[in-house]
Amino acid sequence: MIGPGTHLPKSVELRVFLRSLLLQASWNPKGMQNLGLVYALYPALEVLYPDPERRREAVQRHLTFFNTHPYVAAAIVGGVLYHEERIAAGEEDPRRVNEFKGALMGPLAALGDGFFWLSLRPAAGALCAALVPWLGAWAAVLFLVLYNVVHFTLRAWLFRMGLQLGDRLVEAVARARLPTRGARLRAVAAASAGAAAAYLAFTFGSQQGGVGGWLLAGGCLALGALSYVLVARKVPTAVLTAMAALLAGCLGAWL
Amino acid sequence: MHVGWGHVALAGAWGALVSLERRAFLQAMFSRPLVAATGMGLLLGQLQTGLYLGMILELFYLGTASLGAALPENDTLAASGTTAAAAMMAAQTGGGGTPAIWSVCLLLFSGLGLLGRWVDRRMEAHAAGLSAHGLELAEHGELERAVRQNLWGIWPYALVYFVLNAVCAALGLWIGTYLSQVPLVVLRGLAWAFPAMASVAAAIAARGSHARNAALWGLVGGAAMTGAVLVMAWVDG
Repeated sequence: MIGPGTHLPKSVELRVFLRSLLLQASWNPKGMQNLGLVYALYPALEVLYPDPERRREAVQRHLTFFNTHPYVAAAIVGGVLYHEERIAAGEEDPRRVNEFKGALMGPLAALGDGFFWLSLRPAAGALCAALVPWLGAWAAVLFLVLYNVVHFTLRAWLFRMGLQLGDRLVEAVARARLPTRGARLRAVAAASAGAAAAYLAFTFGSQQGGVGGWLLAGGCLALGALSYVLVARKVPTAVLTAMAALLAGCLGAWL
Repeated sequence: MHVGWGHVALAGAWGALVSLERRAFLQAMFSRPLVAATGMGLLLGQLQTGLYLGMILELFYLGTASLGAALPENDTLAASGTTAAAAMMAAQTGGGGTPAIWSVCLLLFSGLGLLGRWVDRRMEAHAAGLSAHGLELAEHGELERAVRQNLWGIWPYALVYFVLNAVCAALGLWIGTYLSQVPLVVLRGLAWAFPAMASVAAAIAARGSHARNAALWGLVGGAAMTGAVLVMAWVDG
């Protein structure tokens, strides 16, 4: 029985963390991650609420709308456990936990999207794509390692911060300076993309050999620069790709 | 290399697995084009095909992200399906992967990302039904069943993406039988088309990196690589 000042067993916390990896299994337009959140929390709710009626109430309060970035959701899941422990012990009003979720899911989603989706993933992806000619299949392995060392470390850390700090986790997350680090990673992504373009142009040019090879390499580099300008002017990428293939194809067939 | 229905099934299984990883479970980026395509190539015995298609599609989809409720093109299906087709085609010809085959597949299967997005939308409607059912079950106190609705969202994904990837592999096998009839001049043109598409993909990637001064950084990367290539060429004589 949970009383004031007591905490969930570590094994239950671990189960909740592992089940939170399935947060998006039933993502839907209405409740979004609601089913995934309840699925993750359920082992803890079973321990915290031995009374079926109170457990039903707890499940229902987490079946409401919930949506955030799937990784930083770990912080909210940890924070929900923090609050549920206090609600179960009678120290807090049940409305408190929904206020906590409502206040944090938007800002944390923006933070997670900006760092993971728009910075870390493009940086690791472009860098490892540029390394394919040297590393072969190991480039894909390196990508997984680079990305997931950061991903799982941060995910576990955020869960722990939520568990230990509750609402105060915001201060800890702010100290991590993710937006600043994200800006640097985005520069890595752009530079790696340029390097990959140059490498491919020269490799395929040298395979062709002779004047045609130089024409192919130089043409591809020029095409890349032109494409950059056209993408910036909102020309559809599919149209650009098809036009580039047609142009190069005609040249290749003719020369 | 002999290819058959076993390889088609293998392509379906890998495609289903990475599609699940993309959306339903873990999201450790096994579903990114670089990994999904390399894995597909490796499984089907055409590693080089997987690597080069993974590389170009990774660049092509570098800037796409699922932000909020927005649904981007399905980069995973684009990578796994295109590679499955290309690998089967390459195996069918007996000569291994070539830039011409990669170009054919990139052009023929370029709609897979959009198809995947359409499928994802249909799946969301199914998941909305599960959510509503979960609420009903919780009202009636059937909490275990209510919570387990989350897992029922997984299986349709696995099934649909298994079928789609297997169909791509089978199409590749079928198209491969006609490849020997394509005139040499067309194949040469297709071979040139591959690095051209890669250049466009890299430009899209640099733009999609969301970096401040992305053009400058792209230029720095390109210049550094050009320098490295020239130095290596000079050293090799």
